[in-house]
Amino acid sequence: MSSMFKSDGKFAVLLAYFKIIMTYRGMMIIHAIRLLLLPMVLASAWLSIEKTANNPYSDSDYLLYYLLVPVIMNLTDSRIVFKFSLAVKDGSLNRDLLKPFPPLMGYFLESIAGNSMQLFYLVPFTFIFWYFVSDRVMLGHLEPSLLLFFVAAIIIGGLARLMVSGAIALLSFWIEDVTTLNLILNGGIWALLGGMIVPVATFPDKIRYIAELLPYRYMLSFPIEIFSGRLSSPEIYRGFATAAFWIILFAIIMRVIWKTGLKTYTAYGG
Amino acid sequence: MSEQQHEYAICTRALNREFTVRLKAEGLIASLRNFFAPASRTVNAVNDLELLIRPGDIVGFLGPNGAGKTTTLKMLSGLLVPTSGSIEVLGYTPFNRDHAFLKSISLVMGQKQNLWWDLPPIETFAIHRRIYGLSDSEYNTRVKELIDMLEIADCLETQTRKLSLGQRMRCELAVSLLHQPQILFLDEPTIGLDILMQKKIREFLLDYHRRFKPTILLTSHYMDDVAALAQRVIVIDHGNKVFDGHLSDLTQKLHPEKIMSIVLNNGEFECKLADGCRLIHREGLHYRFLVNRSRVPEMAAKLYATGNIADLTIEDPPLEDLIGQLFTSGRQKPE
Repeated sequence: MSSMFKSDGKFAVLLAYFKIIMTYRGMMIIHAIRLLLLPMVLASAWLSIEKTANNPYSDSDYLLYYLLVPVIMNLTDSRIVFKFSLAVKDGSLNRDLLKPFPPLMGYFLESIAGNSMQLFYLVPFTFIFWYFVSDRVMLGHLEPSLLLFFVAAIIIGGLARLMVSGAIALLSFWIEDVTTLNLILNGGIWALLGGMIVPVATFPDKIRYIAELLPYRYMLSFPIEIFSGRLSSPEIYRGFATAAFWIILFAIIMRVIWKTGLKTYTAYGG
Repeated sequence: MSEQQHEYAICTRALNREFTVRLKAEGLIASLRNFFAPASRTVNAVNDLELLIRPGDIVGFLGPNGAGKTTTLKMLSGLLVPTSGSIEVLGYTPFNRDHAFLKSISLVMGQKQNLWWDLPPIETFAIHRRIYGLSDSEYNTRVKELIDMLEIADCLETQTRKLSLGQRMRCELAVSLLHQPQILFLDEPTIGLDILMQKKIREFLLDYHRRFKPTILLTSHYMDDVAALAQRVIVIDHGNKVFDGHLSDLTQKLHPEKIMSIVLNNGEFECKLADGCRLIHREGLHYRFLVNRSRVPEMAAKLYATGNIADLTIEDPPLEDLIGQLFTSGRQKPE
């Protein structure tokens, strides 16, 4: 299996992306600051306002939630929309199409490399933050199986985000600028229904039900809910099944768009 | 499928490619009208193109800007799907993009086609090796050969974006040839390079072709490239093939005269010109004549008979002039 992974160049391409990211250290730090800032602001806001009686989240819950939001956000991030639309516009997609290598695999590997590299600053950041709030956050419930589910949920969340983003990105074959569409579907709706602005568990019942059906919750809130010990085993399994459904559905959508899009691709530029 | 030897490396029949081009007239009203009812027209970039190229040939693919050369190369390499017609390259249908097909070709189009912009060329070579599944010995031998032939040893570890145009082009060629493609599509391989570098690239391509015999389809606006590399040329204009044949045939058909230049030892030129000869330039002891090809031996003999010739040269008119003539004088079809 590992030799297969090496022989057709995927490992070499993955390593190349790691090398590129390390070349642009400054860019990585700026990107990190951008992604760290907003959850910190939101955590402060939620801690400073008075909670309603039926809010299931205490200050301690909010602290843990927003301690983990930057971690999950960064580990499930995807830049495929920006990268792919640029590749269609400037013709650099041509390069990928001429290689005996799956063209979209590069974007997948780039996401893995980019997101893994975030751990370099996410780990120290999380421990520093943890040091200051450790007396207010309860972690006694954590078991190895829960941590395993947590890691699996991050991977599933990353895949879900990549697939939804990928489908939007592939619309670049027809739409000149997909970034606005991305801001709506993968920015605004993701922030709201994914649980960045408000934890999904604190939504009114009807909205929470919708959020649990859509893919966004699984890109951010779901792993945190698992880590917080707020979900029962059946809820965790149901969550994984829902996320898997969306991943498969968007993989099929991507395939259809890709095949159709290639026929209309005009291969402008060098 | 394509391990077998094909009679033609490239074979296209009735190949067409249309593009829809959006139109917009100048002004706010036109913009508003266009917003509600976008106007467009269909452009035939390639029209019923028939290409038959044998394995190992070098063919110059000529035409003015917008003639359809790059569109054809993109269809042949699988980037573009034809609107109609058939293409076979090494027995494959290019737009199916079989990995075996992609491993057999290379398209060089500018200096950003194959190199990873943010990494040094040596890293691109290593990635390329894995993607194309080259063995250690294949890789080591070919890298060494290409580094030597292209003289790129000193720039392999510099980030690609920081290399000069000439260095990038040579590295681009190296990476494109690392998997030893059977077909090489070269789109303006010397564009933007100085004369010395153009010459180096041409010499390299000739040497490479002599050693490995790939089929090469070359487009270039530099006629020196075409004259040095290609025996056969295909000329297209507005997507239509207007000439397919030997370079010398094109020259002969477009320009049935040769240019004869002489330098006298001294005095005035005193010689009766043969029929079909005319003086086109004179400066001091230097004279230039246009001489009908069939009259060249007769005229040369007459000139030498005067006993006053210090130097005599006979040449074809510059290829640039010929091609320019082909595209400006009523789109004539020399075939």
